[in-house]
Amino acid sequence: MSDVAIAVKNLSKSFKIAHQRDGLPGYRTLRDDLIGLPQRMLARWKRNGQLTSETFWALKDVSFEVKKGEVVGIIGRNGTGKSTLLKILSRITEPTSGGADIYGRVGALLEVGTGFHPELTGRENIFMNGAILGMKRVEIRRKFTEIVAFAGIDKFLDTPVKRYSTGMYVRLAFAVAAHLDPEILLVDEVLAVGDTEFQQKCLGKMRDVSAAGRTVIFISHSMEVVSRLCPRAIWLHEGQLISDGPSDAVIAKYSDAGDRSAIQT
Amino acid sequence: MCRSSWRRGESYQSETKGFQKKRQASWLSDTKAIVTEFVNMRLVGSPLRQLFFQFRAHGLPVEMQIALPFKSSKPLALRERYLKIAPLSTESPIVTTVAELSATPIRTQARQQKPTFRIRPTTGWAALNVRELWKYRDLLWILVERDTKLLYKQTALGVAWVVMQPLIAAIIFTVVFGRVARLPSDGAPYLLFVFCGLTVWTYFSQALQHAGNSLVRNAQLVSKVYFPKLLLPLAQTLRGVVDFTVTLVVLLVLMAIYRVPPTFRLAVLPVFLFFMTLTATGVALWFSALSVKYRDCTHALQYFIQVWMYASPVVYPISMIPEQWRPLFALNPAVGFIEGFRWAVLGHSVLNPNLLCITIVMSLVALFSGAFFFRRAERGFADII
Repeated sequence: MSDVAIAVKNLSKSFKIAHQRDGLPGYRTLRDDLIGLPQRMLARWKRNGQLTSETFWALKDVSFEVKKGEVVGIIGRNGTGKSTLLKILSRITEPTSGGADIYGRVGALLEVGTGFHPELTGRENIFMNGAILGMKRVEIRRKFTEIVAFAGIDKFLDTPVKRYSTGMYVRLAFAVAAHLDPEILLVDEVLAVGDTEFQQKCLGKMRDVSAAGRTVIFISHSMEVVSRLCPRAIWLHEGQLISDGPSDAVIAKYSDAGDRSAIQT
Repeated sequence: MCRSSWRRGESYQSETKGFQKKRQASWLSDTKAIVTEFVNMRLVGSPLRQLFFQFRAHGLPVEMQIALPFKSSKPLALRERYLKIAPLSTESPIVTTVAELSATPIRTQARQQKPTFRIRPTTGWAALNVRELWKYRDLLWILVERDTKLLYKQTALGVAWVVMQPLIAAIIFTVVFGRVARLPSDGAPYLLFVFCGLTVWTYFSQALQHAGNSLVRNAQLVSKVYFPKLLLPLAQTLRGVVDFTVTLVVLLVLMAIYRVPPTFRLAVLPVFLFFMTLTATGVALWFSALSVKYRDCTHALQYFIQVWMYASPVVYPISMIPEQWRPLFALNPAVGFIEGFRWAVLGHSVLNPNLLCITIVMSLVALFSGAFFFRRAERGFADII
């Protein structure tokens, strides 16, 4: 029991998606809401139940457990709830039902460079991004040289990041996140950018992180990376957990299903 | 109530219909599992009763007896050996003690077992969670620092804009309201009079404008990183304090030019400033939370600020308001601050303590209503921004 890092129980998340056909635009304005208020109250009163929006289940009844020190890859097609899952685990959004227990400090890297501001210099952004990801100022200062060395951008430290190339940007962002030292690291597909050498560096860093007894949950579309990095994989399809087990087996099932559906369509 | 359940010799009995023979075999292991889980959860309250309900929830018939030599408020781990659990239906009751269940000290295990956080759907009002805000104070300062740096980056005049904004407005108002409309100024030079009001007002409008839009402008952060979102508007209202201090220096210069001697009253300014920040934060929290869902708020905000300015005694003195309406007028917290400010700087007007009380109450109302509303709306931010 005590070696569990993440316990997800019957996790579900739904979104309401509005449709154009009822004449309402996808976004809301205060005016529309106020005007529509009596109408909606009437509808509720009549118990019509048939609302104009459709409920879309991004995640449905997902349960799994991750032990401390495990590296788990999450695979699945686009829009099957992988990122939503990580968003819930990192407490950015709330589940609709079910829940999860997290044992340990979480570091999430859902998108590289979220805390970056284009006008600020690389140096300023390191502090900014570190703080947003939950590091203390002292901590960042202590790891500053390490971060800069990892990113390999020491020459451009005092240039605003808006003048950086995409590659440099990603390097810096990953460098900050990699030095976050969380007990649980959640990583969304972020390594797609950056050259091979840097990707290798990142994968190596993630391996180090897991070797230090930390838990990593990792979303990727690259089966090669998943099978190399993660002993275990979880396959999500349309919000449901299809398969959970040794990554090679799960990947085999996944690519098998992919082939079949490709033939069918 | 919780203590009373720990009385010496207290016992509970449970008999559930769903008890079956095959369960009898696994009784002891089930009991161990439940008790271990229970102890590790470090439940407080009335532990014995809760433990009892745990058994009943699992459909285990059980008799529990507690024999405590004394009333104690120490955690369960210390009293474990006194807890006796036995199944009801067996001939010779298995008597087990919790101490037997775990050789390792339960208290350290309990600490590990407790989740760092539980993710559950929540509804209704949420607590303010000041402790978490405090934990993220480093981020708050970095945000303040960042926005201070950003605001005047790539501008030729830079920080001079901080001074220019109220100064230009003061000059315009002096011409329009002081010279043309000839509004009274309680005997003070009109420029100084209006600048006093504008010092406060510039803070309000800047803080509201920036804080009100802070969530929408940082949409990327809101939807991709976890942190207390309250920090974003809060950083903006705090950042305004920096500008405010710079404007104060200009005010002192103007005082010197008009030969208004500074008095000890100036020492009260920090108190006004404090409540001003609270008010601005409260109102900004309302606007920022609403603007996530309704972008109308960003547009409405500037008109709201304009209307609010004319509803506050920036260009006219409060003495123009009929006496009987003043308490109502003072419901606008800006009134108290502006009047208080003039009282401290110019020393002409008389400060009405009643009005000041209303102002302070109103600023607290603004802060807390805003903060609670924000916390309630916060959980949906990432989904709808």
